[in-house]
Amino acid sequence: MGPLYKFGWFDHAYSLQLAGLIGFMFGFVLERAGFGNPRKLTAIFYLRDFAVLKVMFTAIIVCMLGLLYFFFFGWIDLGRVYLLPTFIWPQIVGGLVLGIGFVMGGYCPTTSVVATVSGKLDGLIFIIGMMLGSVLFAEIFPFLKGFYTSGNMGKIRLTDVFNINSGIIAFLVCLMAVGAYWFVEKVEQKFGDKDTLPKGSPKVKRTAAGLLILLGLILAVVNPDRIIAKPAIPAIKPEKQVERVQKPSATSETPDSIGFKIVDDEGC
Amino acid sequence: MNDRYSNPYVIGVILGLILLFSFYTMGRGLGSSASFARIATAGVKLVAPEHAKANAYFSKYIKGKRSPLMAWLVFLTIGAALGGLFSAFISNRIKGEVARGPSISVSIRLWLALGGGILSGFAARLARGCTSGQALTGAAELAFGSWVFMFCIFAGAYATAYFFRKEWL
Repeated sequence: MGPLYKFGWFDHAYSLQLAGLIGFMFGFVLERAGFGNPRKLTAIFYLRDFAVLKVMFTAIIVCMLGLLYFFFFGWIDLGRVYLLPTFIWPQIVGGLVLGIGFVMGGYCPTTSVVATVSGKLDGLIFIIGMMLGSVLFAEIFPFLKGFYTSGNMGKIRLTDVFNINSGIIAFLVCLMAVGAYWFVEKVEQKFGDKDTLPKGSPKVKRTAAGLLILLGLILAVVNPDRIIAKPAIPAIKPEKQVERVQKPSATSETPDSIGFKIVDDEGC
Repeated sequence: MNDRYSNPYVIGVILGLILLFSFYTMGRGLGSSASFARIATAGVKLVAPEHAKANAYFSKYIKGKRSPLMAWLVFLTIGAALGGLFSAFISNRIKGEVARGPSISVSIRLWLALGGGILSGFAARLARGCTSGQALTGAAELAFGSWVFMFCIFAGAYATAYFFRKEWL
């Protein structure tokens, strides 16, 4: 039962190797999509190419469906998956500013890495800027602390906000995505360059859209929230996991400070 | 650019599966902006260790004796750099250049890249994540704040895109 790490399947040292592997795949697919190119990325803001939206929405939906089906079949304990807490005000302001940074700089944080390794100097400058921005944030953090922790709504999901079960939410998200795909393709046809836009047969697209809606509909009917996860094995608390390779100097630390606490690290 | 880029829907499905794999194995999603905050912290720690330790935000990344760089997301970002390099290499897309629209000079483009980077680095810390760590990961978990954050990214970018049109078009 997943998440494997939380059930002690492997240790911290291996988790770092796994991070490298997951990162490799992540960077690889981003470059495949053309996300190392800022003109391709920012084309969405000029209504010419919605690849960013298509990739993001599709990834979100595939993963969302995967998580809910895994949960339904008892393969993953969602209670042990790190859920990002909601601090609504800093998230709204942060989102708006990140959006401005995106269209101004041409990248978002991960895509700038992909751009840099494919030789783009502006990508490297963007990364340097991000580090300066992080330092700036930390330096003025005492003044921002109040705002940073404002609007704390806890670890809430869309299901809590709208008070409907996650199966129906998933179905609505699928419907919204299919609607969005249809709409942005219409817009692309109008404003985009038809030679560079991806081609695809309408038949395949219709089938895929139908499959997506079907998968959402099944979830809405079976309602995965009915199932209360009962872990057969007691999970190992992350802080109890020690590293396999420990330097002698590390033994002088208190056990608490060695522990790998995933909750301390932010999602991004 | 010898190869055409892949179909975005296909890439989206694969990216979703990678994200699912990350959740299944690690219980957490993707991300990258925190790794730059960590690298910056490591830099500050190197230059002014006392200052870094005294700062309420930097000190979050400096716990115990471990380097701020020994973190899951830092390894993920190193992996992403290698993966991107491999993909660009097999498609002959590695080329030293400054990516920009036809009607903007190199120096203005680089200044804007720096400005955009500063805004993004700052905003990602404020929002506790970026496009991948907050929007992608959180939205797949149906986290409320992540959905709001994602729509705010689009809102911020669309609202200001007009002013940067000469940079890209």
